[in-house]
Order: sequence, then structure tokens, then C-alpha cells
Amino acid sequence: MRLAFEDVSYSYEGGEAKKKRKGRAGRQADWGNAPDAVWALRQVSFTVEPGEFLGVAGHTGSGKSTLIQHMNGLVHPTCGRVLADGRDLAEKGVASDVRRSVGLVFQYPENQLFANTVYDDVAFGPRNMGLDAEEVDRRVREGLELVGLSFDELSERSPFDLSGGQQRRVAFAGVLAMEPAVLVLDEPVAGLDPLSREEFLGLIRELHSDGRTIVMVSHSMEDLAALCDRILVLSEGRVFRLGTPAEVFADAPALKSVGLGAPAPQAFASALREAGFTLDRPLYNEKTLAADIAAQMTGRGGNG
Amino acid sequence: MASRAIIGQYWPEESLVHAMDPRVKFILAFVLMAAVFCGTTPLSLGVAALFVVGFYAASRIPLLQAVRAIGPLLVLVVLTAALNVLFVQGGEVYFQFGIICISEEGLRSAGFIGCRLLLLLMGMSLLTLTTTTLDITAAFERLLAPLARLGVPAHELGMILGIALRFLPQFMTELGIIYRAQKSRGARFDSNPFKGGIQSLTALLIPLFTSAFRHAETLSAAMEARCYHGGEGTTRLSPLRLSWRDAVGISALLIMIAAVIAANYVPLSF
Repeated sequence: MRLAFEDVSYSYEGGEAKKKRKGRAGRQADWGNAPDAVWALRQVSFTVEPGEFLGVAGHTGSGKSTLIQHMNGLVHPTCGRVLADGRDLAEKGVASDVRRSVGLVFQYPENQLFANTVYDDVAFGPRNMGLDAEEVDRRVREGLELVGLSFDELSERSPFDLSGGQQRRVAFAGVLAMEPAVLVLDEPVAGLDPLSREEFLGLIRELHSDGRTIVMVSHSMEDLAALCDRILVLSEGRVFRLGTPAEVFADAPALKSVGLGAPAPQAFASALREAGFTLDRPLYNEKTLAADIAAQMTGRGGNG
Repeated sequence: MASRAIIGQYWPEESLVHAMDPRVKFILAFVLMAAVFCGTTPLSLGVAALFVVGFYAASRIPLLQAVRAIGPLLVLVVLTAALNVLFVQGGEVYFQFGIICISEEGLRSAGFIGCRLLLLLMGMSLLTLTTTTLDITAAFERLLAPLARLGVPAHELGMILGIALRFLPQFMTELGIIYRAQKSRGARFDSNPFKGGIQSLTALLIPLFTSAFRHAETLSAAMEARCYHGGEGTTRLSPLRLSWRDAVGISALLIMIAAVIAANYVPLSF
């Protein structure tokens, strides 16, 4: 499925934005939100291509969460359109239809578990889709298998008895059981310990290589550089950069100006370049950087 | 995320009313209600309205904001007025259709009751608009303190009230997130509640409750870590003190009651 954003602007105060701006918006203490941020998104245009892995980065309050909620029609643009395969999400009935193929996993999805058993929780989505019991059963098994949980061991247990990492997997399985073509993830590894983090990122990578389109919001530039085909950088609700990791991370000072940094190896590489090293790759990770430095050092050693 | 005006939201401002002792304001809010009830004629109600508007002016809160703050409750005002139009009969009949009968007496009573209710609501919201929840809690606790000798847990009740008020917006936000998350999983909250709606409702409420328990646990741990041990011997950073402002407020309300009652006796014929 292709998701196209056309000149999307969004204001939490809807049509009343202008009126309220004069009145209360400027002075109201709001929980967690900057009071003057009337527009959460401004003229955002881009396309999520089928099969790609798109990363979304941005400082806190830059509009990332708002942006991804447009992708399955939870919120509709104040101006502009969001098209899913050419169909406008704001039209009646389209959004609930599109939600079957665009799975949205919120931040800390384990907080949304509610059922008596893991089985019922994972089955919630498929049942809402009106599938018959047999198909629901198949999808629950598949969902749990995808996230690496044992159906036989866990399906009849209460989700509240599981560990935090397992709970998150169950919540993940609940979305995967709807078999979405596009998977939108808001900070999927936030708050996980380093080991579960790696496992989870591996899982996401697998889901992508199975052919799913992935949109992932993350604060970790390293994760984005390692996984994404393209990265969208938001700043104050605008598209600040959109391109391959190499393109986006090439300009570290610009990223810094919007409160983000380049991944550590990339930053180290550009510092080394200034110190006289010739490092040619556009994008470095720890291994490639170590290899290139080693090559230069031995080269120098041989010459000198 | 939604920053809609909630009833009882604090409106920060520096004014005489804001600086008054919360205990005095707490009591005066009820006296103000009584004063509004004293008005039994349109003229005295008008006098009461003048005073309420005057109090709002003294608190520097724009009247439009005051009305907006009680927004959802305006439905109550309209409903009460509408019921009065329909059920109070007498005087000239303007309109009749079946059992619906709109009469002079009905309209008059609707207008009167509607205005009175509006004034009551505005009076009450003046308290919450000018007083932080922390201060309201403190006032509530101090006013209950005499009852503590009779075994009423004044401090605990005050603390419960304060925490409840503090977490209202938090839970509103969380409910919004849970709502959208379950909607993403195909839950339909707008469809027939008797057809699979109960399931959808538990999908909202159970996560909300678990989150409330989680918050409660974190909060109690955080309070204990700061050596909270109940009200015994707890002091306040800025103790409540009566000042000249409170005298002004009390006098203003006494004058209001006197004026309203006096206005009741002014003969006025339409």
C-alpha cells in the first residue's frame, strides 16, 4: 500500500485555531505540550512507498506522533490530504477500511493490553475485522509465532502476568494478527533493556524482509541508520530532511540545529575527516569505520 | 493532547481574588450561592448578577472565559430552562400544540431559573478559576480539621481530593491514547453499544484502570521516598494567613446579600 501525504497541515484546535490563539492558547498551561504550538504539522508532503523502511526522526514535540496517526486515519488533516492507494482517508468509511492494512503500534503498547488471556488480546483485532473463529485462531498462532512467543505456553495465561518485554511482544502480536501490509511503529524499543532491544530490532528487520512496509519513529539515530531505507526528519511540524541515511546524516550541524545528532560512528568519522583522514563511505557503522581506520593506520605505518 | 477547557481549571492571574485565602474563598463560594438564592425577583437577581460580574472583574478573568469554563454545564442551564417553559403554566398562552403549551408564566420562570442557575455555576467556577488545586485541597483540609477530633480523617480526605484533581487531566490524556490504540485495532466505539460494544468498552476501561493502579504505586513509592507519613506534624511552605483582602471579600459578599435582599422588596411592575 502506498501512503501519500499531500500538503498536510494539522492543528489540534481545528478550525478554531485562529480564534483561540488570541484567547487562551498563549497562556494556558498544558500538560506536556508547548502552549503556543498551534500547528502540529505544517505542509507536510511525502510518500511511503510500498515495501520500504521509512524512519521518522525529530525532537520531542516535532509532530512525529501526530504524523503517524494520520497514516491510519485516527486524525484527519486540518488542511491537505492523506491518500492510501489513491483513496482519501478523510472520506467516510475509508479510514476504518485502511486500518486493516495499516497497523499502528503505539508507544508502550503493553499499556493497552486488556483481555483475560493472551489469546483473547491478540484475537481482538482479527475479531473486530469480522473473521470466523478458525481464521482468528490461525492469525493468533501466526502473530504469536512472529514475535517469538510460544502459543502453547502463553495463549491461556493472563497478559498481566508476563514480563514487560513479553507484554510488548503480545501487544505487537495483536497488531500483526491483523496482517497489515504497512506497520507503523512509534518508538518500538523505548524502555527495553539492551538485550530485548536488540531482539526487537531484529524482529522488526525480519518483518520488513518478509515484505511489509515499515514506518518507524525512533530517537535512536543508530537504529535508524542501521535499519532504514529513507529517513524523514521533522522539525516543528515541517519536513526538515527526507532522504537516505547517508544523505540525512551527511549534514550533522544542520541536524544538531533541530535538536538531533548523527549516529556516533558517523559523527566520529566526520571528526576524523577534519583531522586529515580520508574516509570515503557516505555512511559508517562501527565495523566499517573500524575497518577503514585500520586500513589507513596500517597504510601510514607502511609508508612511514 | 486535547486542550479543551475543563470545568474547574485554574486561570493564572494576579488579582485581589486570586490572592485571597483559599479557606475564605471556599466558604465565600457557598455564601455566594446562598446570596444568589436570596434573590427572588428579577430585579434582585439582576443585582446579584451585577455583583458576580463585579467579582469577575476584580479577579481579572474575562467573562467569556468564565462562560467557556462552565461550557458543558450550560446544557444543564438550557435543559432546566426548557423544562420550565414546558411545565410551568399560567398567564397568557403564546403557543399551543398538543400537550406542548408555552405560556407567559412558563417563559418568565424559565428565564429566571436559567439566569439563577447560570449565576450559581459562575459563582462556583470563580472559586476553581482563581484557586490552584493545591490551595483548594489545603483549604478543604483545614476546614475539615475541627472534625478530625471526631475521627474524620481530614488530612487524608484532603490528600485524596488533591491527588484526584491532579490526575484528572492525566487520565484524560491516557484514555485518549488507549482509545486511539484500540481504534487502530478495529474497535468501533461509535457503533451500536449493544453489539460488541461491551467488549470495546472493556478494551478502554481495563487499560485505564491498570494505568491508574500503576500510577498509584509509583506515586505512593515517590511519596514514601520523600518521607511522607501522613498529616501528623506536616508543615506548609507558605502557611495560610488571613489578610486585608479577605476582609474586603467578606465585606463585599455581605453587601451583596444585603443588596439582594433589599432589592427583593423594591416593587417592580412589568
